[in-house]
Amino acid sequence: MSVPAANVLILPAQEVRVAGAASRRLRWLRSVEIWVPAAFLLAMLFFCFIWPLVYTVPSPVHGSLIDNNLPLWSKGHILGTDTVGDDVMARILYGGQVSFEVAAAVQAIGLVIGGALGLVAAYVGGWLDAVLMRILDVFIAFPSLVLVLAIADGLGPTEMHVIWALSAFSIPAFARVARAAALQLRDRPFVVAARLSGTKTWRILLQHLAPNMLPQLLTFTLLGAGLTMILEGGLDFLGYGIPPPTASWGNMIAAGQSFISVSPRFVFVPSIFLFVTTLALNLLGDGLRARWDAR
Amino acid sequence: MSASAIAEPGRRAGGAAETLRRLARSPALRVIGRRLLSAIPVLWGVTFLSYFILNALPGDAASALLGINATPAEVRAFSIKLGLNEPVWVRYGHWLGSALTGNLGTSAASPQSVASILGQRLPVTLELVVYALIIAFVVAVPLGVLCARWPSGVVDKLTAALSIASLSIAPYVLALVLVILFAVDLSVFPAIGFTPLTQSLAGNLRSTTLPSIVLALPLIGFYARFLRGDLVQQMQSEDYIVTARAKGVSEWRVLTRHALRNSFIGILTVIGLNLATLVGVTVIIESIFSLPGIGYELLNAISNRNIPVVEGIVLVFGVIVVLANLATDLLYGVLDPRIRRVRSRS
Repeated sequence: MSVPAANVLILPAQEVRVAGAASRRLRWLRSVEIWVPAAFLLAMLFFCFIWPLVYTVPSPVHGSLIDNNLPLWSKGHILGTDTVGDDVMARILYGGQVSFEVAAAVQAIGLVIGGALGLVAAYVGGWLDAVLMRILDVFIAFPSLVLVLAIADGLGPTEMHVIWALSAFSIPAFARVARAAALQLRDRPFVVAARLSGTKTWRILLQHLAPNMLPQLLTFTLLGAGLTMILEGGLDFLGYGIPPPTASWGNMIAAGQSFISVSPRFVFVPSIFLFVTTLALNLLGDGLRARWDAR
Repeated sequence: MSASAIAEPGRRAGGAAETLRRLARSPALRVIGRRLLSAIPVLWGVTFLSYFILNALPGDAASALLGINATPAEVRAFSIKLGLNEPVWVRYGHWLGSALTGNLGTSAASPQSVASILGQRLPVTLELVVYALIIAFVVAVPLGVLCARWPSGVVDKLTAALSIASLSIAPYVLALVLVILFAVDLSVFPAIGFTPLTQSLAGNLRSTTLPSIVLALPLIGFYARFLRGDLVQQMQSEDYIVTARAKGVSEWRVLTRHALRNSFIGILTVIGLNLATLVGVTVIIESIFSLPGIGYELLNAISNRNIPVVEGIVLVFGVIVVLANLATDLLYGVLDPRIRRVRSRS
């Protein structure tokens, strides 16, 4: 999906107008909405990044062909093996590393560059704002997938290039959100007071505006991370992402597509991991936003 | 012209002719003019950006199309034939010049003109998008109304859960799941391929239903939630709702006649925002379902460095987005007299 897609994920916050015991129960429910996905994501991060360091996980590549196509729950291969004998669990874990790394990097790039652009555009205003907004309009009208495919195809399929390609989505999206957030804050008394007392512009931007925009941008980061994972998988799926034998969820799904009527688990296992992880990111982002909005 | 709009604020436009006359008098025409003017730099930027990005990529159309077995002399001859020996500025200038006169050039891969390729491919993609929007609307509107009728009820909670799930599922995963279910197991729909509308209507619908559902599902989740939020807010706070209730209008009628109408304004904005995304997703969907749409063509054109075709498609995407936003803006005025008034004052 493209730039506005990130905005698309922002659902209207659910309003709470219940009193007494019901409201207490609701608050408890809401915190479950935050803690369950957060715990799941932490567990996923632990299993993807730390588990393979402490515990011997079968290699995700160069599996033995003799062991190919083992079913789920086989001895030594909990999730079985794929058509070339690689352990599916190991590929999920190493593929998860790719997904998390790409998602984190793309969001970080978007947050820093896009956030700075939006902040400066909103605060300075005038022609700078107009020019930046026109450029963003170009990106909005531009089917970003074209840009992403072109970058990924042209630079060659590596993780780094996928990250740069997907940043083409995140930078304009963050710039829009940051601009909107900064516009709301720009004329608030504390900013005006800072300006009148002669605070330097960069100090107002970094110390007065940025911290107040952070909650909004952070929830946007979580929602965007889910989208990035889907897009990264999509690039792999179309053959423009991370190529096999390196494991990634997207290329596992793509590889399993050929065997879908014989053994659908090759598609389902990575799909479920992708889905649940994205779901957790969206739930966490949504939950945090509802909480911060309520304040 | 603005005075008349202020003078009769409460009156609703009666009949299509009246609406049209009103549009002609109202500042709507000025809005159209301004929007179309501001669209020009955006569209130019889109073509400029894609031309130079594609050009900066390693490889060119000549070597991509001739394949790896071509001799350097053949590649040279072909690239001269395509005009690739000229500097990129000159080539972009040529392209822009002829595009301004309505000539989008010819494909590098075949003697076909870009316009005729677009003519063949665009209807397939548009059919998908329109079909998906129809599905999304037909499901999401009743769902949103049901949720708003009983907030925090069973339907509401289920919809909330399903909607976030539908936004979390990757389109290619959803496509594969639907293919397994409906094409492999139940064989209700074909897994891949496309039947043109001219061949058979039923076959055409059968071949576009699964891809359209894939496109529509996230939209259903999103529109239903959006509608629910908007309706609930109106039902809690708006004066005209209180008035309608006080007159004894039934709750259902208040919801569907008084509140829902206003919510369509919000939905329209969202569709305008979604459209670029939706057209983008069709690239993936068309390649999974082997549909001969514009997205499928785009993938080929990018990997062949077929710049004229990419430019044509990008331009069409840009025009669609610009027109959709314009239409949204105009429909606001038609749907909500208050917006018209604000505009005429400014």
